[in-house]
Amino acid sequence: MTPLNRATFLPALATLLVPLAIGMIFFYAPLEKSMGIIQKIFYFHLSLAGAAFLSFFIACVSGIMYLLKRQRIWDARLAASIEIGVVLTTLVLISGSLWGRPIWNTWWTWDPRLTTSLILWFIFASGLILRSAIDEESKRATFCAVMAIIGFVDVPIVFLSARLWRSIHPTVIRSAGIGLESSMLVTLVVSMVAMLVFCAALFHLRCIQHQQESTVRDLQQQLQL
Amino acid sequence: MSSLRQILFLLGKDLRIELRKKESLISMAFFGALILVILNIAAGIGKQVDADTGAGILWVAIIFSAVLGLGRVFAREKENGCVAALLISPISPGEIFIAKALVNFSLMLLSQLVLVPVFYVLFGSHFNADPLALVPILLLLNLGFSTTGTLVSAISAGTRRNEVLLPILLFPLILPLTALAVKATAGALATRPFSERLEQLEPMLAFCLIFSAAGYLLFPFAIRED
Repeated sequence: MTPLNRATFLPALATLLVPLAIGMIFFYAPLEKSMGIIQKIFYFHLSLAGAAFLSFFIACVSGIMYLLKRQRIWDARLAASIEIGVVLTTLVLISGSLWGRPIWNTWWTWDPRLTTSLILWFIFASGLILRSAIDEESKRATFCAVMAIIGFVDVPIVFLSARLWRSIHPTVIRSAGIGLESSMLVTLVVSMVAMLVFCAALFHLRCIQHQQESTVRDLQQQLQL
Repeated sequence: MSSLRQILFLLGKDLRIELRKKESLISMAFFGALILVILNIAAGIGKQVDADTGAGILWVAIIFSAVLGLGRVFAREKENGCVAALLISPISPGEIFIAKALVNFSLMLLSQLVLVPVFYVLFGSHFNADPLALVPILLLLNLGFSTTGTLVSAISAGTRRNEVLLPILLFPLILPLTALAVKATAGALATRPFSERLEQLEPMLAFCLIFSAAGYLLFPFAIRED
């Protein structure tokens, strides 16, 4: 019964925390002086980005574990974390663009962080395409594990080289990070926790779905034999 | 010593096939030259491009043409079930990886012997840079591209959509390497001092080392046929 309980507990917690975070963002956190109301996007943007990077890290770890242990559960975790990571990174890029347009006066700039997020999105989205191209289960899992590991290895290199090929950093990002007022910080922490719980719930549900899918396929094969 | 002999043996085998059929090399050089011509027209006939744009154009042609050769190296082995034969031979997967990466490296280098002169003819009339200044950049990019590409092409050759998947999987991974190469090449074309280019060449070398190691470790998983 424990997995079932967890499957209902995490979404329930998320339905409490996410509205709480939204409420705090709009009614508790003070209005930022220079950016005004648009700065509210920051709480979501940062928690999305944090959760996205975390899920790519989980994808890499699951990939390594799958190659070592060859257990189905790690493939399910790998698939779930890549899917969630791609969705979250998409949202990060969109919310960043929406924020950047009024503040930096551009939808897009080749800042190291933006570049890293975009290339990460490409790498892991290509992993999803790879998944859809292979039918055979063990082969699909192995190939995706290899891609997840090598994709994650690429992240620090992308960040480093993006810093080298563009030497002018917009300092706006940095100034938003440092020197937050305490009520802003509390809001940020709450919205990050809410996002993490929400993603954990999604991750858990997707894992169960993937496992059920492979169980169904096994049963199908047994029936055909 | 014996593993070095095995690697050289595999490399010799692939290069001999290439020498007799010439399928990869001719299509790589032809396609690359075609891209250079297209980009020359796209940039505007009679207009001179600056060093930054020129470097980008050169690398677009090289990267796109190299993918053609990369796809063939494994597709050829798959066709007659040669991968299984390679795997039961007393050659370790790591050695197969090194041999295949060397094949790709040499194919890229040979096609660049055509592409770089074509680039100079079409775009370079006002670049008075020494073409030899490009050599370290070419060698490093070829190394990084061929190691990463060998691993990815082993994966994509195992799927149903080899030709489509290879660039989709490979290009995001080598994007940082290409961007550094473009910047270094722009520096070389604008005859900036070599010490300035080291800033890009060193991370390129790091990329090559990291992906050679990652490719060597992960290749056995990518090639094994369960």
